[in-house]
Formats: sequence, C-alpha cells, structure tokens
Amino acid sequence: MPSELKIVNGRVYDPANHINGDVQDICVRDGKIVDSVSKSVTKIDAHGMVVMPGAIDIHCHIAGPKVNLARKLMPEDHRLDVHPKTAVTRSGTGGIVPSTFATGYRYATMGYTTAMEAAVPPITARHVLEELDDTPVIDKGFYVLLGNNAFLYKLLKEGRKNEFKEAIAWWVNSVHAYTVKLVNTGSDELWKGRKNANITDVNESIDHYDITPVHVMESFIEAAHELGLPHPPHIHCNNLGHSGNISTTLDTMKAAQGRRVHMAHIQFHSFGGELNKNPVSGAREIIDYINDHENITADVGQVMFGKATAMTADAPLAWMLRNVKFDKWVNADTECESGCGIIPFSYQESIYTHTLQWAMGLELFLMSKDPWRVLLSTDHPNGGSFMNYPKLIKLLMDSAYRKEALKHLNQKAVDKTVLLELDREYTLNEIAIITRAGPARALGLMNKGHLGVGADADITVYTEEDDKEKMFNAPRYVIKDGITVINDHEFATDHKGKILHSKPGYNEEIAAEIEPFFEDYYSVRFSNYAISDDYLHDHEEIPTHPKS
Amino acid sequence: MTTTFLRLHTQPDVPLEAEAISPVAIAGLSELGIEHLPVLHGNIKAKIGDFFKVTGKGVPDILLEGDLGKIKMIGAGMSAGSITIEGNVGMHVGIGMSGGEILVKGNASDWVGPEMSGGRIVVKGNAGHMIGSAFRGQAIGITGGEIFIHGDAKNEIGNSMRRGLIAIGGDAGDFTAVNMRAGTVIVMGKMGVRAGAGMIRGTVVCFEDAPMLPSFEFSCKYQPLFLRLYLIRLQENGFENKITDQHLNGKYRRYSGDGIELNRGEILLFSR
Amino acid sequence: MPEVIQSKPKEKKNIKIVKDATCTFCGCVCDDMELTVDLDEHRITKAKNACVLGRAWFYEHVLEDRPVVLIDGKEATLEEGMDTAAQILVDAKFPITYGLSDCTCEAQRVAVDIMDTINGNVDTTTSVCHGPSGMAFQGVGESTATLGEIRNRADLVIYWGGNPAESHPRHFTRYAVTPKGMYIPNGKKDRTVVLVDVRKTSSTPVADIFVQVKPGKDFEVLWALRALVKGKRISKDIEEQTGVSREMLDDLVYRMKNCQYGVLFLGMGLTMTRGRHFNSGAVYSLAADLNEFTHFVAKPVRGHGNVTGADNVVSWQTGYPFGVNFNRGYPRFNPGEFTTSDVLARGETDAAMIIASDPASNFSRRAIEHLAKIPVITMDTKETHTTKISKVRFAVATYGINTGGTVYRMDDVPISLRPAFDSPFPTDQEVLEGIRQRVKRLLTGSKARTAF
Repeated sequence: MPSELKIVNGRVYDPANHINGDVQDICVRDGKIVDSVSKSVTKIDAHGMVVMPGAIDIHCHIAGPKVNLARKLMPEDHRLDVHPKTAVTRSGTGGIVPSTFATGYRYATMGYTTAMEAAVPPITARHVLEELDDTPVIDKGFYVLLGNNAFLYKLLKEGRKNEFKEAIAWWVNSVHAYTVKLVNTGSDELWKGRKNANITDVNESIDHYDITPVHVMESFIEAAHELGLPHPPHIHCNNLGHSGNISTTLDTMKAAQGRRVHMAHIQFHSFGGELNKNPVSGAREIIDYINDHENITADVGQVMFGKATAMTADAPLAWMLRNVKFDKWVNADTECESGCGIIPFSYQESIYTHTLQWAMGLELFLMSKDPWRVLLSTDHPNGGSFMNYPKLIKLLMDSAYRKEALKHLNQKAVDKTVLLELDREYTLNEIAIITRAGPARALGLMNKGHLGVGADADITVYTEEDDKEKMFNAPRYVIKDGITVINDHEFATDHKGKILHSKPGYNEEIAAEIEPFFEDYYSVRFSNYAISDDYLHDHEEIPTHPKS
Repeated sequence: MTTTFLRLHTQPDVPLEAEAISPVAIAGLSELGIEHLPVLHGNIKAKIGDFFKVTGKGVPDILLEGDLGKIKMIGAGMSAGSITIEGNVGMHVGIGMSGGEILVKGNASDWVGPEMSGGRIVVKGNAGHMIGSAFRGQAIGITGGEIFIHGDAKNEIGNSMRRGLIAIGGDAGDFTAVNMRAGTVIVMGKMGVRAGAGMIRGTVVCFEDAPMLPSFEFSCKYQPLFLRLYLIRLQENGFENKITDQHLNGKYRRYSGDGIELNRGEILLFSR
Repeated sequence: MPEVIQSKPKEKKNIKIVKDATCTFCGCVCDDMELTVDLDEHRITKAKNACVLGRAWFYEHVLEDRPVVLIDGKEATLEEGMDTAAQILVDAKFPITYGLSDCTCEAQRVAVDIMDTINGNVDTTTSVCHGPSGMAFQGVGESTATLGEIRNRADLVIYWGGNPAESHPRHFTRYAVTPKGMYIPNGKKDRTVVLVDVRKTSSTPVADIFVQVKPGKDFEVLWALRALVKGKRISKDIEEQTGVSREMLDDLVYRMKNCQYGVLFLGMGLTMTRGRHFNSGAVYSLAADLNEFTHFVAKPVRGHGNVTGADNVVSWQTGYPFGVNFNRGYPRFNPGEFTTSDVLARGETDAAMIIASDPASNFSRRAIEHLAKIPVITMDTKETHTTKISKVRFAVATYGINTGGTVYRMDDVPISLRPAFDSPFPTDQEVLEGIRQRVKRLLTGSKARTAF
C-alpha cells in the first residue's frame, strides 16, 4: 500500500518553483512529492501555517574523529544539556558538540532534514560513515579532505594533471564522499614538518613540493569541474582569522577563473586591516566580489555569542586560539592527509574581535545581492551551535531586533562596520532560499530544497509567528521521506536518513599508481583502505556531470 | 514541629538517587506529599515513602535516620535550612548547595559538595574521594562554602576549587588541592603526595610534614596572621581537639607554587 | 565484502589464503596478515607477518566442540539463552554491561542500545587500562597523531611506562622505531629512542637512552620536565627524589625542544600506578607545552584489539567514552561512580552482561564476590573465570577470525576485518541483536523505561 499524505491550506514558500507564500496543497506518496493523492489520504491542516521544504545545512561538523574527540573532551558541557530519550527516540547528550542521536533529532526539531559534514580525512571516513549511520532522521554526506594530500601534491609537483584528476575521483569513490574539501591549503606540511609553522601567502611555495597553494586550489577546481562533481571544491581559505586576510580570500576566489567554487564560512575570511593589528571589517570587498561572480557560492559561518568550539582541519588556527585562551587543546595529525585542531571557545559581546565577527557575518548577509549564493551557516560548532539558526534567522528578518542587539556589544567594533546603516530585512522567501533552495542548488541536489513534483518529501510546517526565532525553533510538523517524524511538536517515530555521495567516473588504473605510495608512507594496507559499500546502508548516489 | 523527620525503613537494593531529600523540594509539603516525592531506585522510579517513614510536614530542617550509604544527592541544591544525618551518607551529598548546613554524623562517600557555592557540610566520620571537587572536565570546582571532615578523606580534595574552605581533621589522600584556583584547604593529619599540583592561587595548610613537588619552592618560615584567624574559627566549629595553641602560635614553612603555573599558590607546613 | 583469494590446493587439503587480514589481539591492529587457513580443520595454520602474540592468537582459535548456550550450566538453545538474558536484564534495577573491547564496533553499538533501552550502565575495559588517559584528556586535551605520521616524521620517540616488546611486539618495527618513513629515510638511524621505566625490560635494548625512574615517581619526573621546558626552577633534590639526575633531565629537555617531531608514548605503567590520570595528564601537558618549541605529540599505547573502537562508539552514542549510566533515561558519566570495578566493589548492581572480557580473573576480591552473587550473562569465545560463574553463557565466534566488522586501531584509525573461516557459533552482534529485540519487546508500551 502506498503511503500518502496531503498538507492542505498552508502558505507555501518554494522559491525554486517561484511559489512565494501562496496557499497550496502539497501531496506526498512513497516519500516523494506528487501531483495528487487519493481522497481518503491522511491530511495535515496547515491553515495559518508556513510550509517549506526541509532545510539543508551545507557546512557543519557533526560526525567523525574530530567531532568525537571534541565530544570526549567536554563531559562538563554534556552534563548541563542532557537529551533524554522518548518513547520512540534514543537518548544522548547535547551541548556544543552533541552525541550522534541528539544531533539528528535536534536538527529535525528545527526543520532541518539534510546536513553535510564538511571535513573528513579519508583514512577516517569509515568512522564518519558509522557515526552518520547513528545520526537519525536527516540525510547526510561528507566532504573529503584532499587539499593537503601528500600523494596528490606529488602528482602536482610532477605536473601529472590527468593522474591528479583520476586520483581525486579514486579517493571520492573509495571513501564514498560527496565532494572534495580544501583546508588551509599547503599548511599541513609546514605545521607538521617545520615545527608548527604555517603558510602565510597563497603564492609561497609549499615545502618539498615546489607548488603553491594557489596552484593546488586551481588544480582542484579544474579537476572537479572536469569530473562534474555535484558540488564544487569546498574551500576553507588560508589565513583564517588573521587581520587583512581578505587579500588571501580574493586571491583564492580569483583562482577559480570563473569555474564553480564554494567558499566556506566566509565571515572568518573577511578581515580587513593589517596583520597582527586589530582587524576591521572587510565584508564589503568580499561580498562585492561574490555578488559580481556567479561561479561562486558561499556560506557565511556566522558567529553567535555564547559557547562554540573551534574544530578544524586547520591545526595552526587552533594553536593560535590556544595561545589566546589557554584551555584544553587537541591537535591530531593524520598521516599524509590532514591536520586537526580542537579548542573549546566562547564568543563574548564585550570582546572587540567577537563583536566584529558577529557584525561582519550579518554585513555579508545583508549586503548579499543573490541569496541563492550566500547561504546560512554558523560553521557549527566553530561559530556557534546549529541550534542558533532560529536566532540567526530572526537577526536577518528583524532589523529592530538587530539594532537592539547591537547596543549591547563592543561599540568600538560596531563602529568599524556599516551594520547600523543596513535596514534590510530578509523575507520568508529569502530565508527559504538561504536555508533550503540555495544550499540544494549549490550542492547539486535536484530533489531537495523544493516542493515540486518528484522532489523528496522532506517538508517542514511552521506555525506563523511574529517572533521568527520562536517560529523557526519549533516546527509543528516535520516530514522526512514522506513520514511524519515530528507531529504536533512531538517525535512520532524514529527515522534513519540516508547517505548522500557521488561516484565520479575514473580510470581504475590509477590505483596501481597510488598503491606503492601506500606501501611506503601509510600505516594501513592499500587493500584495506577503500571502504566497502556495506558502510553506506541507505544511500543515494548523486549524479556527476563530467565534462568531456 | 520544627523538624521534618525521615526514618529509613527499607534499605535500597541498589543506589538510590534522592535529590528530593532537600529543604527546597519538601518545602510546605504534608507528610504524604513528602512521601510521594520521586526518587530513582536504580532505573526504577520510586517514592520517598518506599524507603522512609516521614513525620512532620516540610520545614527547612530535616533529620534523617538510618544507614544512608547507598543514598545519593541528599541536600541537592539547598540554599537554606539544615539536614542532619544520623548515620552514613552516599555520594554527592550537598551537590550544588548554596546555603544552609548539612551535618553527617557517620561517614560520607565520594564527592561531598560538588558544585557547591555556599553553606556548610560537616562530616563527623571519614569521607571518600573528591571532596569539594570539580567533576571531570570541569575547569572550576566549588566556588564557595565550607566543608569540614573530622575524620580522613581520600584523593583530590578541593580539585580545581576557586573559593571556599575545606578542613580535614584527619589524613588526606594524594593530590590535595590539585589544580586549585583559589580558596583554602587545611589538613590536620598527614597529607599524601603531590599536594597542590597545578595550583594557580590559593592556600594549602598541613599540620604534618608532606612531600613537595619539584616545582614548589621554599620561600620562608613565618607566622601567617590570617591562618590564626582561620584556625580559631575552626576551633570554634568542632576542631578544638585537633588545633592546639602550638598550631595557633607556631611557625609555618611556606612553599610557593605551582611553578609550572602562576606560582601564586602556597603550601604551609607546620614547623614544630 | 572482504576479498578472499582462493588458491588451488597444493595437497589434498582445502586451503585458503587470506591476504591483508587484521590481527585484533592488541591495539596495534596490524592489517598486513597473510593467513593460511585449513578449511577442513577449521584453523589457521600460518600467520605470515604476525608477531609472537598474533601467531598465538590465530593458532589458538580452533572450533571447540561445546554448546552455544549454557543456562545454569545446562545446555540450551540460542533462543532460550537470549530469552533468559533479556528477562534478566529487564528484571534488574541496576543492570550493567562491561567489556566490549574485544568485539566489533557493530556489536558495541547494539550493546549500548540495549543499555539505553533498559536504563542500564555501560562500561568498557577502558576503565581499567587507559581510562585514566581518557580522564586526563578531558582535563587538558592531547596533541596526537596517527601511527603513520609517527612513522613518517618522528625523530624523537619516547616510551614511558610500557614494555611494547612484550605487549605490542610490532609497535617498534611497524610504526615507530625501525620503519623508514617519508622524512625518516634511514629508519632507526634517523631517530632517537628514549625509554623511561622503573626497571629494565625486554624493550630496553631498543632505546638509545634509558631513564630509570624510582617506582611511583613518574609524576614527579614529568612535572620536573614540564617546569624545565618552561624555563622554571626545580628543587635540587630531584635525583634523590626520583632517581633521575638533573643532567639527564636537562639532556631530555634539550632533545625534546630541539627535535623536529617528537612523540611520547604512554603505557599502563603510568595509568595503573599511583597518580593514574594525573600521570597521563602530565604527559599530555608536557607534549602540549613542547609545541611552543617544536611539533610534539603523545599517544597512549592501547591494549585490547578494539578498545579504541569501544571508546569511539560509546562516545558518539552518549558523549562520554566509558563508565556511562542511563538510569535516568539519558547518559551520565562519572568515573569512580559508574565504572564497573567500583560499581561491583560497592555491591551496587543486580545483573551483569559481560562481553568479551574476564573481570572475574582480574577485578578486586570484593568485586568478584559480588559478581558471583548476581545473575551474569557472558559472551566469550573461550571458557574464562567469568563464564564459569555465569547464569547464561554464550559461546561466540571470534572477531577478525570468524567474523567481519570494524575495529579501531589505538590511533583511532578504523579498519574492516577479513574473516578467515566460518564458525558454527553466533557472533556477539547476533546474540546482542537477539537480546535487544527481546528486551524491546518486553518493554513495549506502558512498560517502556522513560526518562526520570
């Protein structure tokens, strides 16, 4: 028997299909949106409510070795935010880095039905897939860290562009990744090999390899373009958090040469001013460039006041923070592939840089001309928990609230921004774009982020409220794959989402090139490295569009 | 009646978590109301009445009778009033208390007064590990209040404490005042090894000689005035047999440390 | 599925070769075994690349002819065993599960689910080996690395409080001392190896420098090193106190600050002696401090084959690495309160499910006495002291030899197993899944355990 559902009388926001608050019915059969359903179908009366596609987090850190280290690191944080079980759901712990079950359920309780883990060293991807299998309700995928990969660097040094592309495809396939991620390109070698040094200029040569970060990034952008990955390289620029890093960010965006690229958490890369001096906002320069270049998508990485955790493959950054705020600190080097740093953190209203960052993020949102390309994120948990999204939405939709909030912040920092001059208020339609339709388009997820026929039946229904934080904090209904997971604010059933991954085509002969490198420099056998399909459980391959 | 009387009639089989046995929880309740307050018996929800006979309605002063060694969290979050326990008590007694007084006439288990910010806990017998200590992962332990143990206590007394006074009439285990931020720990018997490891500020006093970590440095021998005041106060609060005139008027060797940290802490050893 | 290479039988025997199989005996989790399997005899006849411990592990596992399930010493069916086990767990007020470090992550995940369902208590053997390192981690963090990174880069390797030559024989040869690496082209010649211990052991000959510490004085030596690294003074009687001279300490500090990439491996000589988590914490802090001068990492040398997997599974499902209590319907953590040896010694539990470990042979007398008093469910491949006192005993297949699944190496690298031959015994995972199903059935509707 087909499972059917009809949501009637709701005001629908479906920007991908140009539906902007019209009262429409949404029909669901077997997990998909359809034209019509039988008359006797179960109905949800959404009168006075807002219907949107399920939201999509394009950049967060929710599963895998670094996340689990951060969980282990902070028992004191979990203790204060327990996540009790219900009749249908597992228990867990919350805090800034929740357990897997709490992560899935809490995303769902905010109307999120898809989230992408943004940084996974390939050797640990098996761990990520196991955790994602224990992350309920939502669909999920991950970006594999290849931007500091020793073997790929060797190929670039030797000028073997074709093998470089094939090897990228081999890696994405071997670990079931969604796309490639680059973090602080070139820095790992200096961090591990030159006593904790860091790359400061994207045009400087990387030790041992005679290549520059810009060259590496260009090569990835080109290879991903040719492989036709559903989402382009996801780039965490160099010099994160350093004053004056806008020049690095602009250089990186220019390296795309008109090809698609995604710039992660750009707020952290929009600092003006001079190195080692107090930063100023460079949001204007960055957003102007993005506005003018349609090949670029970005997520903001908004900072929210309160608890956060720096959790990043950018190990030198975590070290820098450790020396600002002496606290427990984790560094974790991954052979041939990555670095990692973790440090508990909190953003405080009174601190100049924290206020500046908060304001810069909002400037980027409010000066963005194309909501389809400047997307909502807090780089969870780096800028703050994903649980802050409703509050962030309110900041975007309510200028009076925003201006009131500004009064309680570090005024020296506020003066360095143009936030007071920005009266823009996001509309519900624009919110639906930056949290649903936009991320889906940037990710190449054709069946998500909209409510047209054939789309996945991932739907959220909110009671409309003036207080947008309240509204987005507690959807009345959340439907995942056509199943009403949250019914009248309560979990009605448990649900497993699926893994989203891509399988770019490649010439399998590349494996023979990679294998000897493993023998020499890896601590696991080559034949034990690639991950079997068993780890995918329920999954969906998102098609690639290779350029011939 | 001026006291709420709880007499244990059934010993729990497994640990009983009873944060409801606290002036905050019973305030204004009838006998029946108190007996119906929830407690957790292992993984089973139970009532105070399943284990205790309650006499008197809920007033801020509670008297408990029986061996409560398996009963945890008595006095949780209390801010005023008193609890007297005519016997032993289980873990986490006085957790999160900010005021009032708990008197344990027998022994106490581990974690006496975690997350305490005020009030006083007195244990006439011995106590376990982690007296007035932070939970694992916490950077800061108790932020105020007084814990007086008349017998011995085990390891990690005052771990990461930031304010408050802990006095141990007997011996202390290892790592007394480890990672201490500030506050005072006074040990009247012997102290185990590695006292004050990682301490930033604060004072540890011991009446007996104790081994010093290599990162602590002898600074002087003197008569600290503040200590005399502290000791007199302790004498007046039940420690008169442990604190002699020699302790009040004698000299103490001062070691500063921990050198690895700010070096603003001190360990004072009584010098005979 | 794991790739199995069938070779033509040379003799009449039915022989199979499994390449790149994984040894789950110790935390090294070497994945380069070449196993020769006699399929007629159901045994491994050769384990190429295995160390002495690995060979024993592989050769010992033969299929014993014994019942799959015993209830009160009497043979029973698997279904009866799972029914009885589920009933015991559901009837208990403070049920615990313990062990888990010698089974797959897949099984561990089910075990945690069962305890979540019945509001029980879950703990692993971590609490009696490197649990203190886990607690130290929660206090100060850790700078660490995968073993391949150490192979490729470490020019200063310090082992503290361990005897890998006997406990982890291939740690030296495969990962940290002799192998050549990317920036260590000459292997051991490019490294300085330091061993710190209270006595000479069979590991001592590998060391360029041996530092002998007086028993119970590791923390003092580590603390002195931390002070010297930070340029602070230390007391003059350091040699008298610890047995280590000032010159030796200065030399170590110089080497640590000036190496290119240093590593401190810590063993149970630190975690299970006086000071425990503070000893581990001192190592972590020392390694962190050294990053102000060079690149430095630390790494506990973990024991059991998948104890690291157990830490990971319990952490991702609950937020805490071991010693987790679900009595309230959500996880709580407090070592000392919810760790098995303590819970048993205080006589607090009324039912125990012991998976792949033998607490009855190594816990305190009081703990073992209590264990003997309560209904115990065991899952093990062999007869142990604990299986002997159990009410329900499941004989299970051996992970890595008879079953696939995931294990984590001591450096958190996950590896999939390639089983050598089938076993008539069920896997831990299958038994646990059967118990889970039954427990959930017994606790449906109004009987469901809710949050307190």
